[in-house]
Amino acid sequence: MSPNNPRDLFPGALEMMILRTLRLQPMHGYALCQFIKRASDDLLQIEEGSLYPALQRLLKNELVTAEWSVSATNRRVRIYKLTVKGRKHLAHEVSAFERMLEGVTRVLAPAKS
Amino acid sequence: MNWLTQLRRRNDLCDDLSAEIRGHLEERTQELVEAGMSPAEAAASAHREFGNATLIEERGRETWHWMWIEDFLADVRYCFRALRKNPGFTLVAVLTLALGIGANSAIFSLVNAVILRSLPFPEPERLISFSAHNWYPQGGFVAMRSSLRTVDVAAYLEGEGLNLTGQGDPQRLYGTQVSAEFFSLLGVHAKLGRVFQSGEDHPGSDSKVILSCPLWQEKFRGDPAIIGKQITLAGVGREVVGVMPDEFQFGSPKTQLWIPLAFDPRSDTYWRRDWVPIIGRLKDGATLEQAQAELQIFQNRLFTLFPGKLPSSTWQPARVIPLQQQIVGNVQPKLLILLGAITLVLLIACANVANLLLARAASRKREIAVRATLGAGRWRICRQLLAESVLLGIAGAAVGLALAWIGVAWLKSELPAESIPRLSTISIDPLVLLFTTAVGICTGFIFGLAPALQLSKVDLTESLKTGSKNSVGGSQRLRSGLVVSEIALAVVLVTAAGLLVKSLWQLVHVNPGFQSESILSARLTPNQAFCADFSRCQSFYSALLERVRALPGVHGAALVNALPLNGRVAFIAARFEGYPQDTGNQPEPLIFDSVITPEYLSVMQIPMLEGRGFTASDSAPNAEPVALITTSTARKYWPGEDPVGKHVRAAWEPENPRDNHWRRIVGVVPDVREDSMAQTLPDWIAGAIYEPYSAHAVLIDRRPATEMTVVMRSSNDAASISGALREAVRELNPEVPVTEVQTLRAVVDKSVSASRSIMLLFAIFAGLAISLGAVGVYGVISYSVAQRTSEIGVRMALGASRGRIQSLILGHGARIALMGVGIGLAAAFLATRLMASLLYGVTATDRTTFVAVAILLSLVALAAASFPARRAMKLDPLVALRYE
Repeated sequence: MSPNNPRDLFPGALEMMILRTLRLQPMHGYALCQFIKRASDDLLQIEEGSLYPALQRLLKNELVTAEWSVSATNRRVRIYKLTVKGRKHLAHEVSAFERMLEGVTRVLAPAKS
Repeated sequence: MNWLTQLRRRNDLCDDLSAEIRGHLEERTQELVEAGMSPAEAAASAHREFGNATLIEERGRETWHWMWIEDFLADVRYCFRALRKNPGFTLVAVLTLALGIGANSAIFSLVNAVILRSLPFPEPERLISFSAHNWYPQGGFVAMRSSLRTVDVAAYLEGEGLNLTGQGDPQRLYGTQVSAEFFSLLGVHAKLGRVFQSGEDHPGSDSKVILSCPLWQEKFRGDPAIIGKQITLAGVGREVVGVMPDEFQFGSPKTQLWIPLAFDPRSDTYWRRDWVPIIGRLKDGATLEQAQAELQIFQNRLFTLFPGKLPSSTWQPARVIPLQQQIVGNVQPKLLILLGAITLVLLIACANVANLLLARAASRKREIAVRATLGAGRWRICRQLLAESVLLGIAGAAVGLALAWIGVAWLKSELPAESIPRLSTISIDPLVLLFTTAVGICTGFIFGLAPALQLSKVDLTESLKTGSKNSVGGSQRLRSGLVVSEIALAVVLVTAAGLLVKSLWQLVHVNPGFQSESILSARLTPNQAFCADFSRCQSFYSALLERVRALPGVHGAALVNALPLNGRVAFIAARFEGYPQDTGNQPEPLIFDSVITPEYLSVMQIPMLEGRGFTASDSAPNAEPVALITTSTARKYWPGEDPVGKHVRAAWEPENPRDNHWRRIVGVVPDVREDSMAQTLPDWIAGAIYEPYSAHAVLIDRRPATEMTVVMRSSNDAASISGALREAVRELNPEVPVTEVQTLRAVVDKSVSASRSIMLLFAIFAGLAISLGAVGVYGVISYSVAQRTSEIGVRMALGASRGRIQSLILGHGARIALMGVGIGLAAAFLATRLMASLLYGVTATDRTTFVAVAILLSLVALAAASFPARRAMKLDPLVALRYE
């Protein structure tokens, strides 16, 4: 059994989505989870829990920081924020991902002649 | 983030995580309740969507943990429980490993002290020596000291016997002569006073002495006021200038004091005699290669400096090597052979423990299966099992260390200190501790790997079925394979030990050429000055012989200058009548020259082969000079001729027709083992003659022999004779020390002690190997009998006789034994040639030894298999059939 959600496309995809989401604005785990679910139109059925180990990894690698604060709904929540290092990492990962995607697309595209 | 911060923050982070997950679940639940669900339903749904919260929390934590350490600690805790549950197994495994590891650590501490540890001097890597033939004339050393630019050099000469008088009983001390810069070159300082200063090796300013710490404490009661005092050594006063620290040791551990070499160009020691070994220290910036090149040039010059001829091969090839290499060069191969052999013992121990683990595996199958069902992966189970075996290995190392402690003490007392440099410094030092720990861990992996891989390959459904027979077919093959290799390794070790035993047997049964039983010997060392007047010396000795002969129980007494097998070489450069004179570069041969009194041959029971022995009249001042010659020497220089009546002379005597220095050969005696039981004479000695003790009998130092050994044939015990001897000497001359009082039997024994101790070590290794191998065979056969109990029951029920059952089991043992012995013999055939240099009178592939070892090991294996075979035979078929 792999530690990641079975529908993860590849290792690191979840982290990439988290970083991308946090680039829009800092948010806490639950919000992050709902946002990703909605943004993917529920195509990616992410096990909510799997978000947290991913967040821990990002914290450890100093790509995000976390701070306790109080949410709009008056809950004590931990807000994650992208760091400069995280921003750079995201840019790098996205371009790498796009290259990979392009490659895969070309191979998958029907032969032209 | 560095690891320290991580450590500090880890717990906070984990608390944060669980709070966060709780918050997430609450938020989701609340949302669902707001959407209209009942609270209970909402909570369940939130949990469902979230996944396994505990697992996720754990996974989140893992990011922060040093996973392997924590897992390892958990494994270790688990191991302790598992091993405690099975104390019998744990005890046997730990003891087996402890034997193997302890023996390894002991031998390693020997290797460490002798080979690995660098010399205890500052910048030891800059200390060098000259290999091949590191002996130079003293004049050559003085020239070298003033001309070499890349190396500072110092000379030393061991084995100078000195009588200490004026301090109670006269005492014979072992001294080393050194050039003035010897201590400063090594970089050592005196504990008290000072070391020698430059210029103190010139004649006239050399009457100084430095004491070793033990001598200072024993003889001078550690008196610090000794510095500056005069002591009488060899009849000459010397000023004590220093005391060396206790730990200082260079060369022979016997050295008790140091005196300066006196470089006197007028003395014949300057070029001809007393050549010295030279050590050096590279000057700043100089390399070994530069020193090497400079030495090469210098040596060519040395041939022209030398007043006379030298064989051109004298210092060839010139090679500068690190001093440490020179010191340990001789013993290194032997020690490595020992280390290799003891590693084999350890491998056998590993195979044994692996077998134990495999046997235990069967009973643990269910436990493993349960763990696998609960989600443990194969690697996780493997790791758990490996942790267990590593823990066993470490426990084995800990107990082994205690054994090593005993082993080291035993090695120190048992091994000959003269032939193993730095023996006294063996200890369990940090490197040995590290080695032991590493060996413990490595053995854990070695013996644990195969069982772990085997056991972690679980078939869940099969193993979990209750009552399933714990059959492990594949592992039986693995177990047999392990035992086969154990036997093979044991064969190698036993063969090696067998060859050494046979060598030693040959060696002690060599006829040394004399009768060593009931002969007592003692060395008498009057001062040179006392014997300057030879007649005084001669009358001292003849009076002494007279008194000794009169002692009760003494049947004969005689004198000899160099007792056989005692390490002393008395020699002259000789010229043989009619033997082709050297035409060019060839120097005169050096021959062993035993100076004896007439009765020597009869006391030692050396028979006369031809001619006559010496008589009292041969020692008279104007008697005709005569000599005896040994058979092999006569055959070498006068082949096919009768040696009696021929002449031999010392080569340095001037060929003056008026002085008749030719000695007439009056008799022929058989060869005697002078050098060692393995060879008659040292390699550099070409022959041997005997001369009567007289003023004519001068040796290489051109003086009549002063120091003599008295040999006495006696039926009384050695103690009473030696007491009487000391008394007689004291009455005749109270300044003459009596030393080396020992039976000739002891002299012979000591000469083979190095061979004996190596043999003893190998015999111990072989004993360990055989016992471990036998335990291995016993274990694997017993286990297979237990496994096949039902099968045996069926066979019996179908009418197999008990004899048939027994031979079935014994056959299994025999197959294992035969394979092991076969493989072992092949391996031994290849391995024993490594130890050819340790053997005497037996080839490395001695057929008798190989056959004997094969039979011995097969018998031992069969005997070990016979116990379980008998048990199988006695099985009650009814019980056996129901056996699960």
